[in-house]
Amino acid sequence: MKKLTLVGIIVAAMALILAACSAPAAAPQVVRETVVVPQTVVAAQTVVAQQTVVVPATPEPTAAEKVLRINLGSYPDIVDPQKSSFVNEIAHLNLIYEGLTKFNEKLETVPGAAESWEYNDDATQLTFKIRPGLKYSDGTPLNAARFRYSLMRNINPETAGEYAFITDEIAGAPEWRGVAAEATDEEKAALREVVSQSVLALDASGQPCLEGAEGYAQEDCLTLQLTLSKPAPYFHTVLGIWVGYPAKEENITEGGEIWWTSPKYQIGNGPFILNNMEPFVRARFEPNPNYEGEKAKVPIEYAYITDSAVAFQAYKNNEFDIIGLAAEDLATVKADAELNKEALIYPGSCTFAVMFHNLKEPFTDAKVREAFTKSLDRDAWVQDVLKGLGSPTLTWIPPGYPGYQEGETRGAFDPEAAKAALAASTYGTAAALPEVVDTFSDTPRNRTRNEFLVNQWKTNLGVDVKLNPVESTTYTALTKDVETSPQMFILGWCADYPDPQNWLSVYWKTGAFGERIGYSNPDFDALVNEADTTSDPAKRAELYAKAQDLLIESAPVAFMWNNVNSYLVKPWVTGLVTTPQDSGWAGIQVPTSIDIDASKLPQ
Amino acid sequence: MATATVAGRRPIENTLNTKAPTSLWVDAWRRLVRNKAAMLGLVIVLLFFFVAIFGPWLAPHDPLQINSGQDFLPPAWAPAWSINTGKVGDPQFFMGTDTIGRDVWSRLIYGARVSMVVAIVPTIIITVVGVITGLVAGFFGGTVDNLLMRVTDIVYSFPDLLFFVVIMFALRGTFIGELGNGVFLLFVALALVGWVGIARVVRGQTLSIKEKEFVEASRSIGGDSRRIMSKHILPNILSPIIIIVAFSVPRLIIAEAILGYLGLGLRPGTSSSEFFVTSWGSMMLEGQTAINAQPFMLLAPAIAVALVVMGFTFLGDGLRDALDPRMRGTG
Amino acid sequence: MARFLIRRLLWLIPVMFVVAAITFILMHAAPGGPFDKDPQQRQVDAITQKRLNAQFGLDKEMWLDFPALMQGNVVGFFDTQFFTYMIGGTVNGEWRCGFICGNMGPSFRQRGMTVQQIVLDPPEGKSPWDSKAGYSLRLGLLALIFAVVVGIPMGVISALRQNTAVDYASLFIATSGVTVPSFVMGIFLIIIFAVWFHLIPVVPRDWSDPTVWILPAVVLGFGLLAQTARLTRASMLEVMRQDYIRTARAKGLSNRMVIVRHMLKNAMIPVVTIMGPALAALVTGSFIIETMFGFPGWGRQFVLAISQRDYSMILATTLVFALLIQIANITVDLVYTFLDPRMKVS
Repeated sequence: MKKLTLVGIIVAAMALILAACSAPAAAPQVVRETVVVPQTVVAAQTVVAQQTVVVPATPEPTAAEKVLRINLGSYPDIVDPQKSSFVNEIAHLNLIYEGLTKFNEKLETVPGAAESWEYNDDATQLTFKIRPGLKYSDGTPLNAARFRYSLMRNINPETAGEYAFITDEIAGAPEWRGVAAEATDEEKAALREVVSQSVLALDASGQPCLEGAEGYAQEDCLTLQLTLSKPAPYFHTVLGIWVGYPAKEENITEGGEIWWTSPKYQIGNGPFILNNMEPFVRARFEPNPNYEGEKAKVPIEYAYITDSAVAFQAYKNNEFDIIGLAAEDLATVKADAELNKEALIYPGSCTFAVMFHNLKEPFTDAKVREAFTKSLDRDAWVQDVLKGLGSPTLTWIPPGYPGYQEGETRGAFDPEAAKAALAASTYGTAAALPEVVDTFSDTPRNRTRNEFLVNQWKTNLGVDVKLNPVESTTYTALTKDVETSPQMFILGWCADYPDPQNWLSVYWKTGAFGERIGYSNPDFDALVNEADTTSDPAKRAELYAKAQDLLIESAPVAFMWNNVNSYLVKPWVTGLVTTPQDSGWAGIQVPTSIDIDASKLPQ
Repeated sequence: MATATVAGRRPIENTLNTKAPTSLWVDAWRRLVRNKAAMLGLVIVLLFFFVAIFGPWLAPHDPLQINSGQDFLPPAWAPAWSINTGKVGDPQFFMGTDTIGRDVWSRLIYGARVSMVVAIVPTIIITVVGVITGLVAGFFGGTVDNLLMRVTDIVYSFPDLLFFVVIMFALRGTFIGELGNGVFLLFVALALVGWVGIARVVRGQTLSIKEKEFVEASRSIGGDSRRIMSKHILPNILSPIIIIVAFSVPRLIIAEAILGYLGLGLRPGTSSSEFFVTSWGSMMLEGQTAINAQPFMLLAPAIAVALVVMGFTFLGDGLRDALDPRMRGTG
Repeated sequence: MARFLIRRLLWLIPVMFVVAAITFILMHAAPGGPFDKDPQQRQVDAITQKRLNAQFGLDKEMWLDFPALMQGNVVGFFDTQFFTYMIGGTVNGEWRCGFICGNMGPSFRQRGMTVQQIVLDPPEGKSPWDSKAGYSLRLGLLALIFAVVVGIPMGVISALRQNTAVDYASLFIATSGVTVPSFVMGIFLIIIFAVWFHLIPVVPRDWSDPTVWILPAVVLGFGLLAQTARLTRASMLEVMRQDYIRTARAKGLSNRMVIVRHMLKNAMIPVVTIMGPALAALVTGSFIIETMFGFPGWGRQFVLAISQRDYSMILATTLVFALLIQIANITVDLVYTFLDPRMKVS
């Protein structure tokens, strides 16, 4: 009878493993016929949020419950306003917090927590007026002292935030941030003091607010005054992004390093309250009743499925309301009348280009770059590879963003001109070119993309380009530095905030990102430097336009395509407002307007 | 294993003339030929070798030819319920087309080469290294066993993925890395970490067999260790070895695919005259992302792998039976 | 027996150190570091990079600090990255005990969290079974049970009914088990069971519902099931031809007694051998299955850690895996003596 005992043991083991899941409702079939195994049943857990909103940790969605279920993709590494940097992390912060300014559906900078702001004459001082009577979701007051703390925390070297450099315009910020670890406490304190004077929270009488908890409670502490090290008329826009979000000091101190993982400490001033965050499974957000703007209408739930084929199946199964639409699934969507109506495709915030290393043979020769650029059929690329999920471009700033230049034709597809350019280069013929290698981060998708690209040069220019797939972090490590940067690779840039400065100065100025392919143009630098410090919007725009013109003229890269945001949205989701900067999911910039039409929900 | 079979005839005759008057090999060969399943396996395996070698002459299209606007075409014979895209197949593309309109059937034929090489070469290395290590450890026991098994523990434990990342990075640019679009490097890497499973199984079996009477007997009449291992122990532990070997074939093909999933795949060919153009592994990966649009991008390579394994399994089983000393004369 | 156990347990230590050292060399040889982001993203600037290196102790010597030794600082000589992780050392001005204290170090990527917090701590208010390690352990055990409970009988039956339809059917199942990669089998099963029949959700919302565990466990266990079935069949066939089975039958023992007592026991040696390491591999999770099913386990953490160069997560996972492998192999060696008392474990 040994055999039976064995079976018994196995069944019992199985039951125990499953019992650990503590499911009172549905018992596994295997267990049903056997003896009752002593279960350590943990009673249905409840998480009590700060707002006494009691929600079961694992709420079962019923057709009747109104909740917006979104597949976000990868799980965030960290959800801390001053430390996060990744799109998916920001998708969480966006809901929980609101900055001094924010962006509307036209990507204009509009008042957020600040009701107004003004620069001094030479744009070296920026003063925000905070709305009076603002509250956190837990009901505690929010004033200028809170924002001061956040900005100071962002600059503080101890924080070592990944986007800390974005506030380097604040006087003293780069110095304090860059202080050597070995520096004495006095040196550190001195540097801190400089920043502390550049970021001032002032009360009604213009005096600095009280320090610490008293300052946070001070009702008239409503002025935030920033001193900048150079004229920066775009800086109010920078403060619309997540680094300035006012996380609460006492929560960060009390919660320790992992404060951000707990809904208890993630208390913000945004339209939503973090209710529950189960790592790698889901996060749930409830509307914030204390939000000063338009109140959110439905709770939001994020899931973290990275496999797009699985997410697509789940969407078809009515398990998600919004998912990203992958190019591979587009054909299926188009063939299905229902799904086709649910597809939402609109311009995005990124520009992609084939980068040529300007200091590596043969791309030192501008004629060779021209030849490679002109032999790229962008329309075919968009149609065959991106399946229409993208739009061809010949310029840098994408449509929908301030600074976009319509009607650019330089570098357009023209195989004859391409061959002529190659003939006019110092090499003369395709055979005389040194070996050209296209390096890419290896994913199944990138493989097809780069195979297509190489095919273009082969067909249109007669040049054999080799492919070099590398692992993704290797790719990052290689492309970071001008020395190791590959001869040729595809790279894109997505807007942080809607201002030409973010596209031109931040990327192409000498010493900036363009450095990695050896781009350095003194004339360009002069133009953007002047534009960055010019207050007059019209003059500024003109200078940036000139700079972009110069960039395209010197053609260091082949501008290729702009991404589009492509999502599938269920018909019962209403009130979606989309912007190009919808990274994460459709409608993220204005989440409060979204509602669910219960009458359309499937029964 | 397979190569041994293909080239098997001549050594048989040689052995016959010089050494074995009892015609052990002839006997085995006869039994093998009479085993229908084994013959089917042999035919399948030979067929795939043929395709791998003569792919360029068999493929109807250039595997790299991009047909603009003809992407995700289903096979012309595909039943309507399997088509989600509303597209109509074209008979000239037997298995349909892929993401950018390349002929799946031709890619499958070209892919056979990489996949057969990736499956066979490391398998041979793995088998030789694993069997020798396991035999020696199990037979001699004691310190030898302990040290060898600790080495296998170490090889088993350290993250092979990380090892691949480093090897691919360090050697990609070198001569070794360039050899056959990185195929050589890939199978060296796969072989280096793959032998431990076989070694442990062989050791376990050896530990058991060496205590058997006939080994004792052989030892007592003064047989030397090498002879005992090769003549008495090895033939008796062939079955598990054959199974693990047959199973390592698909595992390696899939390993190549999964490495592609993690960004460590082969360098894709840019000209169909290159020796290695694509692989079944990368086809499966691409197919998985496009499973809704063109399921045959995934099914075609998956079925190909299944057939190869089926072939090796049948052949392996047959070989084992044919070589079993106890079956002698029964054929 | 006791001597054997003690000796093998002592061997754990040097093996773990060698594994750690190899992993350490490999992960630092891999290009890029933990603060390098996805290529599409903006990278950390030099100032912050330096600061982060200091915070995580990456500014220290890798193996041995000879300059410190020159100054007569013997403790400083060992105050390096490797020994800090394994034994202990100062990081960011504070002394911290290393892996020998069971300390798995701070995650480089999920900043603010230690590796323990990520893999061992359950979500608020749940049992340790709900931690990532707990999830992986449960799924691995389920997969193993599935493989054994289905695989061994399948192997036995096909050996007893060699070359019949049953045998070929089991061969077919086994072959599909190894040839269809998990990323393919997973998506097909999801389509069949979730989309066509609506038996389970595509994306399980609630892992406390046991039904959603079935699919991932089946996909995870299928490869092992195939191997188990084939190995069992082969060894059974081998054993069936041995003289002592004929003797046993001749003695008039019942067919069932012969199968269980004599055949199965002897046929289990290769099966048990692969089972040990397989268990270790199963319980540390599977990247592809976890990704596909949105399963919050440990395996995904590990693969992500490798591509993100999260050094402490890589080391911790590798060491835990090494420990499991060795314990599994010690157990296997002990089981050998039970299966075949003549076998001596040295």
